[in-house]
Amino acid sequence: MPIHEKSLIRPENLVEHEELVIDGVDVSGHWSTFIEGRSVPDYNEQLQEEIAAIGGGENIHRCWQCGSCTNACTVNAINPDFNPRFWIYLIRMGLEEELVRDRDIIWQCVSCNKCTYACPRDVNPEGVMKATAHWLELKGYTEMKPSMVFDEEFSLQVFNTGKIEEGKVLQKFFKRTNQPLTQPWLVHLITGLVKRFPVFYLMKLGWGAVFHPRTRDWGRARDAINEYVEERNAEIHKALNLDAKGAD
Amino acid sequence: MSKPVLVVGGGPAGLSAARALADAGQAVVLVDKEDRLGGAPILSGYAKLVPSHEWAKDAIGGMVSGVEGHKMVTVKTGTKVDKFDGDPGNFVATLSDGSKVEASATILATGFTHFDSVNKPEWGFGTYPDVVTTTQVEQMLSTGAGVKCPSDGREPERVAILLCVGSRDRQIGREWCSKICCTVSANLAMEIREQLPNCNVYIYYMDIRTFGLYEGEYYWASQEEHKVKYIKARIAEVTSDGKRLLVKGEDTLVKRPISIPFDMVVHAVGMDPNVDNMTLSAIFNVDLNKYGYIGKPSTYAHMSETSRPGVFVAGAATGPETIDDSIAQGKAAAIAALISASSTVREAAE
Ligand SMILES: Cc1cc2nc3c(=O)[nH]c(=O)nc-3n(C[C@H](O)[C@H](O)[C@H](O)COP(=O)(O)OP(=O)(O)OC[C@H]3O[C@@H](n4cnc5c(N)ncnc54)[C@H](O)[C@@H]3O)c2cc1C
Ligand code: SF4
Ligand code: SF4
Ligand code: SF4
Repeated sequence: MPIHEKSLIRPENLVEHEELVIDGVDVSGHWSTFIEGRSVPDYNEQLQEEIAAIGGGENIHRCWQCGSCTNACTVNAINPDFNPRFWIYLIRMGLEEELVRDRDIIWQCVSCNKCTYACPRDVNPEGVMKATAHWLELKGYTEMKPSMVFDEEFSLQVFNTGKIEEGKVLQKFFKRTNQPLTQPWLVHLITGLVKRFPVFYLMKLGWGAVFHPRTRDWGRARDAINEYVEERNAEIHKALNLDAKGAD
Repeated sequence: MSKPVLVVGGGPAGLSAARALADAGQAVVLVDKEDRLGGAPILSGYAKLVPSHEWAKDAIGGMVSGVEGHKMVTVKTGTKVDKFDGDPGNFVATLSDGSKVEASATILATGFTHFDSVNKPEWGFGTYPDVVTTTQVEQMLSTGAGVKCPSDGREPERVAILLCVGSRDRQIGREWCSKICCTVSANLAMEIREQLPNCNVYIYYMDIRTFGLYEGEYYWASQEEHKVKYIKARIAEVTSDGKRLLVKGEDTLVKRPISIPFDMVVHAVGMDPNVDNMTLSAIFNVDLNKYGYIGKPSTYAHMSETSRPGVFVAGAATGPETIDDSIAQGKAAAIAALISASSTVREAAE
């Protein structure tokens, strides 16, 4: 039987077999498309604990599903599929498969915290969204995007030197994402700067680019920050049952 | 002094009525068909009560000894009322042991009957041994036996509590809400989580009715402190895959059918009208309401009254009630009976 209203069925639940014989009946090909059952077969009881272990998700078990967060949400106003209340439910009940289906929109939270102020149970939905995005990343559900590489370089530099040096961030970013340094927009920006900036500033910029100055006495702060980051990472990896490196 | 007041039923409502009357100096005859007093909490072996967290055998047991030891109370267990004649101030009750009691008034505190889950065969009770009722879980806790799957004695790792079993169900002619089962279920869920920290408890609900102050202490505490999970779904059927129970339904918040394995399924059974109510209605000549509980006129001017003057009613005999409310109604009925008794004495004197 051909299936007429395929639009009503999730594409991944439509299965065709090139070669399949069941009890002597040939059911190969398009004319024998199968629809897989869509019922939820189990709960993942760890899911809520995993999100709660990541910073921001601690209060997720308080949610009473009132929908105030979704109502208040900046992104939901633009994309109705962006629904923090719904994801919080999926996480609480351990419906992992359903959650992962939305991996491409969950990270779109703009951290405006409107939901945080609307929530009557003090769940901190913004924190949950952040934790969930982080969780998707740690579990390997979202691939490393260039913007994530940029963030990583940026934070690493702040941790190490207490400052950021734009030139260096860009340089490392382009290198790690295999992009040439001679991006037309960058060349344009730099030539523009050179033309318009007073010499004194240009010298300062140039000096910085060559000598990478650090914040004075940064060493102890750096060690403390790194220690904290490592500690938290270890905790999170343990809660998520990941090896030290994560799923990527 | 007037004749004794006859109290029928020695559960929380009847005990409270008997005690109040006796303390006021009024003689009481208390009859109960069972061989001991205490009503459902004692006869069915409930564990810790809502909302006091006291063990039923201590809390209700205390009420029982207060009545049994009282010089104004004559207790007759294993006894029913067979005949009831006369008028306010001058009733005569014939008891099942053949004796007669002359009474000025009577209070019916005959309570309820637990819903029998075999009447909902799709939920597996009677078919699968690991499908149990809230009463059975109460007993597992109160006897100290612990929460275990009846089939093989293993400790469950996952328990589903189905709410509104035998309540709010037109299919089986039971439209009422049994009032206390949401809170009792939340309470049991917390007890299970405390006893078996590795066991996850899921409550399947249509609405949650942990009314009034129960909200914080039961609904929220069960979620916030004990991580009990609430899923909005009325279960379609409970089957088995040969190893574990399979709970099928629709998670209505996700719009997805579910078919989830569980070790134990608990029916939160409701409070049916007492199976004796037709007989009681005939013997005492009191009306029943459309559901089969003992009918009562509006509270404002007729608190505790039935359709027959001099016959009063209290507790779950009138519909699903909590223990606290049954006790309050028992005391209210005691006052109503006292007023009735004294006014008939006054009328006779005039
Ligand atoms: C599983 C479960 C757990 C519960 N837990 C709680 C809780 O924690 N807290 C709470 O507030 N409520 C609880 N309840 C509700 C509680 O059981 C009732 O509120 C309470 O029992 C009502 O008291 P009662 O005296 O009106 O009736 P009952 O307790 O039913 O007592 C009626 C008495 O009358 C006797 N009787 C009946 N018919 C006759 C007759 N024809 N002749 C003579 N005697 C008769 C019976 O033997 C019985 O002793 C629970 C209910 C259930 C089902
Ligand atoms: S913080 Fe994120 S989830 Fe909350 S309202 Fe803003 S965009 Fe929506
Ligand atoms: S506002 Fe808070 S309680 Fe309401 S649905 Fe959102 S997270 Fe849950
Ligand atoms: S108290 Fe709760 S479980 Fe009991 S009948 Fe009412 S809604 Fe259903």
